[in-house]
Amino acid sequence: MLPAFELSQPKTLPEALKVLAAGRGLPLAGGTVLFPDLRGGKEKGREFIDLSGIDELRYITHEAKRITVGARTTIAEILRDPAMAGAAPALHKAVDNFAGTMVRNAATVGGNLCCGSPSADTVPALLTLDAEVELTRASGSRTVPLDGYYLDYKKTVKKPDELLTSVFWAPAEPGSAHLFFKLARRKGDAVTVTGVSVMIAKTDGKCSTARIALSSVAPTVFRAHSAEEMLKGQKLTPDLIERAAQAATDQSSPIDDNRSSANYRRLTTQALVCRLLSQAWHQAS
Amino acid sequence: MSNIDTSPNALANVNLRQVGRNKPRNDAPTKVYGRAVYAGDFHMEGMLFAKVLHSDRASANIRGVDTAAAKALPGVHSVLTADDLPASNAVMTDMPGQVGGGTKNTKQPILAKDRVRFHGEPIALVAAETYELAQKALELIVVDFEDTKGVYDAFEAQEPDAPNVFGDDNIVAAYKIRKGDVDKGFAEADYVLENTFSSQYQEQAFLEPEAAVAWVDEHDILNIRSSTQVVEHFRAVADALGLPHNRVHLVAPYVGGGFGGKEVMTIEVWLALLAMDSQRPVKLVQTRENSFISHGPRHPFTFTHKTGVTKDGKITAMKITATSDAGAYAKLSPYILLYATVGATGPYRVDNLWVDSTSAATNNLPTCAYRGFGTMQANTACEAQMEELAKLIGMDSLELRRKNFIKTGDPNTTGQIIRSSVWSDQCATKALAALGDRPENTDTLVHGHGLACYQQSYGRIRWMKDTSECWVGLEVDGTVIVRCSVTDIGAGQMSALAQITGEILGVPMSEIAVYFGDGHVNPLGGTSTASRALYMTGKATEMAATKVRDNLLTCMAEHFGVLPSELDLADGEVFVLDDPDRSMSVNDMAKYCAARGIHRHALEIYRAPPSEGLDPETGQGEVFPDFTYGAHAASVAVDTDTGEVTVIKSIGAHDVGQAINLRAVEGQIEGSALMGQGFALSEELLLEQGVLKNGSFSEYILPTSMDVPDIQSIVLESRSGLGPFGSKGIGEPVFAPVAASIVNAIADAIGTRIHDLPLTPEKVLAAIHAKNASEN
Repeated sequence: MLPAFELSQPKTLPEALKVLAAGRGLPLAGGTVLFPDLRGGKEKGREFIDLSGIDELRYITHEAKRITVGARTTIAEILRDPAMAGAAPALHKAVDNFAGTMVRNAATVGGNLCCGSPSADTVPALLTLDAEVELTRASGSRTVPLDGYYLDYKKTVKKPDELLTSVFWAPAEPGSAHLFFKLARRKGDAVTVTGVSVMIAKTDGKCSTARIALSSVAPTVFRAHSAEEMLKGQKLTPDLIERAAQAATDQSSPIDDNRSSANYRRLTTQALVCRLLSQAWHQAS
Repeated sequence: MSNIDTSPNALANVNLRQVGRNKPRNDAPTKVYGRAVYAGDFHMEGMLFAKVLHSDRASANIRGVDTAAAKALPGVHSVLTADDLPASNAVMTDMPGQVGGGTKNTKQPILAKDRVRFHGEPIALVAAETYELAQKALELIVVDFEDTKGVYDAFEAQEPDAPNVFGDDNIVAAYKIRKGDVDKGFAEADYVLENTFSSQYQEQAFLEPEAAVAWVDEHDILNIRSSTQVVEHFRAVADALGLPHNRVHLVAPYVGGGFGGKEVMTIEVWLALLAMDSQRPVKLVQTRENSFISHGPRHPFTFTHKTGVTKDGKITAMKITATSDAGAYAKLSPYILLYATVGATGPYRVDNLWVDSTSAATNNLPTCAYRGFGTMQANTACEAQMEELAKLIGMDSLELRRKNFIKTGDPNTTGQIIRSSVWSDQCATKALAALGDRPENTDTLVHGHGLACYQQSYGRIRWMKDTSECWVGLEVDGTVIVRCSVTDIGAGQMSALAQITGEILGVPMSEIAVYFGDGHVNPLGGTSTASRALYMTGKATEMAATKVRDNLLTCMAEHFGVLPSELDLADGEVFVLDDPDRSMSVNDMAKYCAARGIHRHALEIYRAPPSEGLDPETGQGEVFPDFTYGAHAASVAVDTDTGEVTVIKSIGAHDVGQAINLRAVEGQIEGSALMGQGFALSEELLLEQGVLKNGSFSEYILPTSMDVPDIQSIVLESRSGLGPFGSKGIGEPVFAPVAASIVNAIADAIGTRIHDLPLTPEKVLAAIHAKNASEN
């Protein structure tokens, strides 16, 4: 049963930041995580700041060197953005595989980034885009690389008086390959069992940039840096790919839960990193 | 899509105008426009809201329940524990509405008194001004538990030193079949194959959770408006409360899905107690989380199959054991075990047969009725064994099946002679053909085809002496009223009666009003369970409508100066068959007949064929009225990196006897395709020491709309069933082979078989790795 709670409904960003600075509650975006947690007794908060009235946080802009998505933009809006499939193919696939229609219509990218869930589907894709987030407080804002934003399970560098206001990244390099794979127990409304996002850029027949991000196999979504390092400047052979996938898997620390065992997560991390690296290597030009 | 195949031997000269057609169901508009009022939508002046304290542990003694603080909370009107209940504190959970004698241990405490036996067992009831207050009151109730050692495995429960759950020995029921000579049969076999198969808990997951409102009215009648499959529960409520049967009025409005989960009583008696105690209307709609522990899920079963077969594919003997986990109370476990016992050999004739079956009590969730009712689990095991037998002897599996299909006139497992058509071969052949060619495998994607056949009963166990009544009447304005207490649980039960009546009286469905779901103002039609609703209530309706038709045509024959047999009724007119210009509208006919005092209505009763039970030593006797036969075929793709299974095509081909509403038949086949897919691949209640760990729709993995394969329905009509117009029951039958076909398709794809359901990606991947390791 949903417990009673106090709700403030600011209409502008400064108003919201003021309420936040006064320590009067947690931000509430789409509510697709918060409400189930409240109903289930996992979230005990009693004061929330409803961000649904703040239209200035709801936008997508495509500039030559920067794509920016306002934090209050819904997953469905990202999915429907006509330029997104080209500008961020892995993110587009991630939002397409994200939960189901009803959840996508409510859930926001800011909420997905802030909930800190290890299974958040936009995070691996955004990590392989080297995205940054903008954190804003009443006195000003700062930007933080998404790689480094997560500290531990549901812990981030964001301070209690800060609001995540946007996420931005440079457009995909021409010829680079961006892949995302969500392994789950069903095709709709599923929580990810193993999530993999991969980005490969090629120069002169060699891998110039490799980014690998994994979800649901550690307390946070993370970049597999050691595996990435192994690929840089190399031709990607099946053997190298296998070893890099092993390195990525070694960096994971999955757990057993009701959806799968830790062992299955390790096996599929290895297999899917191999698959996606191999596909990306062939796709990149 | 669907296509129809009517036997050339079908009933001659039957000219059906409405039956079998794609008529929009007459409950469709009210549901589509959101006007239909379900049990939880009902509101009354002064209504209170209820909450139930469910045990959060599976095995414990109760040393005390302190409700003082809850009772003191302002706005709380009623707090009840076992101490406040009638001394018997028991509700009958035996087969509802039956008169043929029950099984042992089917009384269950309404509220736990000294002991809780399962996670979810109700301990206290609260009624308050709001749900929030009722919840607050629940949190103020203090239960002094002392955990006790439980037993959580159906095999361990049968050990001599196992903790006792209930009864003398934790044996809830046991059956045996001894037929022919199995030793001789195995001696004649060229091959003998032994396998063990097991299956899991499955949750009904109806869209509408348990919901009801109860109140005592100005005539001191206890009224309950509840989401139930069974209005006859008014008797069990009355018996539990010590009231006369005629003082409890149970009404079932439209029900948002049952699947067996609303067959045994759920929340009705709790609300009855609160309404009587508070003298206010009381409502409860269970939360989804509590719904998971408020009715019995599907029984986990373990089957061992030992089968003898000749090199030509003839089965010479079968020795089968079946064990089910009944959980902490018997509920319908004995009957479900009986269905599994009778259905152990699937749709095959086996003359040398030995079956032993047992249902054991544990401290797990009490299991109960769920579409398929034990037969489905038995059939899933049997069809896996058939596939393995075919592989062993190197024969096409359909060919093996053909050599062993039971046929009309053959005795089944209990020696009952099959009277209706058996079109297993035709159904299997069509279903398999519709799968088409197998796509090419890739490095990481392998494809497989799977087939399963079945035999599933429709109609209740014959010694229950099942009956169904219906009243049909023609109003003076030419409209028609049908009265039958059948519960409409979403499958079109009510609409089918309109279609049958419309066919017989020649009036469009729009001119027919069906009053349903109320057993005190309508004749009792019986339960919407056991694939019996259409068979039984449809038959009673057919009889009543025919009686009215006979009365009307006798009167009109005199008017037209012809014999009654020379008249027909169609499209709102009575007319002379050979001279259709001589006609009268049904409206005028009604007035004409009324003016002459003709009886324009009729109450009829249909009695299912009875029997007196089984020989306990041999298991021989007549158990069911009749059976439905058919097949399901599936094609799958398996990702060999992840073990993920994608069902590509799912094809049901069934001899339904006669479709009453073709769309409704397709709806059953399509729904069963998804339900069977969930059972095969992903659905499973996870229990740890009896405590449910995944009681939510996030972690209990139902297939979603995104998981729907290409489903095709192939409908065959032998017109050989016992139902109206030769129809057979289909609700459970069409579900019976689905999971087995998917399981067989996966075995075909990966070249090895997994013996315990569900086939999660994790199990599939492990099987692929094990096979690769054994080959290297």
